Amino acid sequence: MRGGSAPAVALARTAGRKDGVAVPTRSGSRADLEQVFRATYPRVVAVAARVLGRRDDAEDVAQEVFLAFGRSSVRPGEAVGWLSVASAHTALNHLRSGRHRAARERSAGDGDGVSPDVADAVITRDERRRVRAALTRLPRRQAVALVLRHSGLSYAEVAAALDLSPGSVGTTVRRAEAALRKELNDHASSD
Amino acid sequence: MRHPTDGTLRRLVDEPVGVADADREHVASCPVCLAELAAARRDAAMTGSALDVEATPDVDAGWQRLSHAAAVEGRRRRTVAGRWRAALRSPVVAAVGVIALLAGASVAAAADWLQIFRTERIAPVSITQSDLISLPDVSRYGDIRVLEKVDIRRVAGAGAAEQATGLAVPQVSELPQGVIGPPAYQVGSRVSVVFTFSAEQAAIAAGETLPPPAGLDGSRFRLAAGPGVAAVWSEARGVPAMVVARAVAPTAYSSGIPFETARDYLLSLPGLPENVASQLRGFSGDGTTLPVPLPAELVTSSTTDVGGVPATVFTSRDGSMAGVVWVEDGEITAVAGSLSEDEVLSVANGLRWRG
Repeated sequence: MRGGSAPAVALARTAGRKDGVAVPTRSGSRADLEQVFRATYPRVVAVAARVLGRRDDAEDVAQEVFLAFGRSSVRPGEAVGWLSVASAHTALNHLRSGRHRAARERSAGDGDGVSPDVADAVITRDERRRVRAALTRLPRRQAVALVLRHSGLSYAEVAAALDLSPGSVGTTVRRAEAALRKELNDHASSD
Repeated sequence: MRHPTDGTLRRLVDEPVGVADADREHVASCPVCLAELAAARRDAAMTGSALDVEATPDVDAGWQRLSHAAAVEGRRRRTVAGRWRAALRSPVVAAVGVIALLAGASVAAAADWLQIFRTERIAPVSITQSDLISLPDVSRYGDIRVLEKVDIRRVAGAGAAEQATGLAVPQVSELPQGVIGPPAYQVGSRVSVVFTFSAEQAAIAAGETLPPPAGLDGSRFRLAAGPGVAAVWSEARGVPAMVVARAVAPTAYSSGIPFETARDYLLSLPGLPENVASQLRGFSGDGTTLPVPLPAELVTSSTTDVGGVPATVFTSRDGSMAGVVWVEDGEITAVAGSLSEDEVLSVANGLRWRG
């Protein structure tokens, strides 16, 4: 678990001071916050939504993440990676703590925010739920790599954000997908 | 040639341009790899389908919400920074603050409290003014409950100070040149707090979601310092010319988790400036060294001894102020003022204690 989150720390730690940019303003938030927000908010929401399955929950997580980013001195060039990793971690923590469960169950009858064209017959709603539950049981780095890749980050971006070699991103993602597949198969065979 | 790794096959599924030509050619003609590739493609599609969600947010609405939240937080942070600056004018409070930062912490009555920190030495920690402002407010990492509040008051004389604190009161045998008259005595009662660490709050405060070590979440720490007494000699314009102070040194207790575990975790959070973190990391893990933060651009420090006890000397870079502080028998003693280093050491070495 620790290993999975270390890169984000490294990013935060090394950020800012050397090149003198991204210094927080007197009000405590960065001068470039709005610019970064507008450029990256959809992606940061998308990452959290992959984990949580709901856009409104994902927006809550994204807000939390951008507030933290506003306090940080992460270099602008590293912002997308930092925000994506932070979003994935925060969403996974929320998922694990069950903070969003009540909301999900409440709205179970009125659709779960899935667009019709991807909610095909192959993956049932129950299977989606099981996949998300399985996400929280994966090694954290695998889960984050998987979510980032499925949120549209390139292999190089995932590698940079997680401090992995580009070659090992594929291996990490593949392993996570195999584990999720196994969860579904095991469940199916035990029915 | 050897089969490409499963990672390479996985990349072939959705980013084939990132895969070397030789690997691509091999896979195209290798039944084993083709089967693996098909499995990878199937699992990737299944995962993608399971995770995919329509999530196009309204960026303008999101920005309105964030800028409001950031403004609210900014006001709160300015207040916190102000409190820190005020607190750091008092060395004892600053020391308490840093320990609270490190371990949560406190002094304890209940038997199930394990002592994790006992001040035996003092080490200066250089921090810059900008670091001070960004020192994390420990309340962001959990809940603080004050058991005994800071209560500093002036008392009539040495006898009253001794009675109020139970501490021996300093007697200066020979005042440095320019320091005159009888001192005013101030006493402070014991202060203690209980800090309950919250993993969730720490994650939000740090903007990170580092899982804390086992047992830290919900752990309680108690920190206590004092009582203390200070004899203050003032110049005509009210600025202290010299202060001689003694206090019961800060002590921290934990409801279970080792000091080092809590310290190392808090050090790993990104809120702590790197230069401060690296210096704190250098402290011995025995939980006896009290770090005292100093504004690096204003003050330098060195070590010496007072009556055979190791002591730390602070001098301001402009030479206008100096101080020395040491710990003996669980009591912390300081001499400081608008004096030279030689003058404070002379006073320190000549102290007598009533009682």
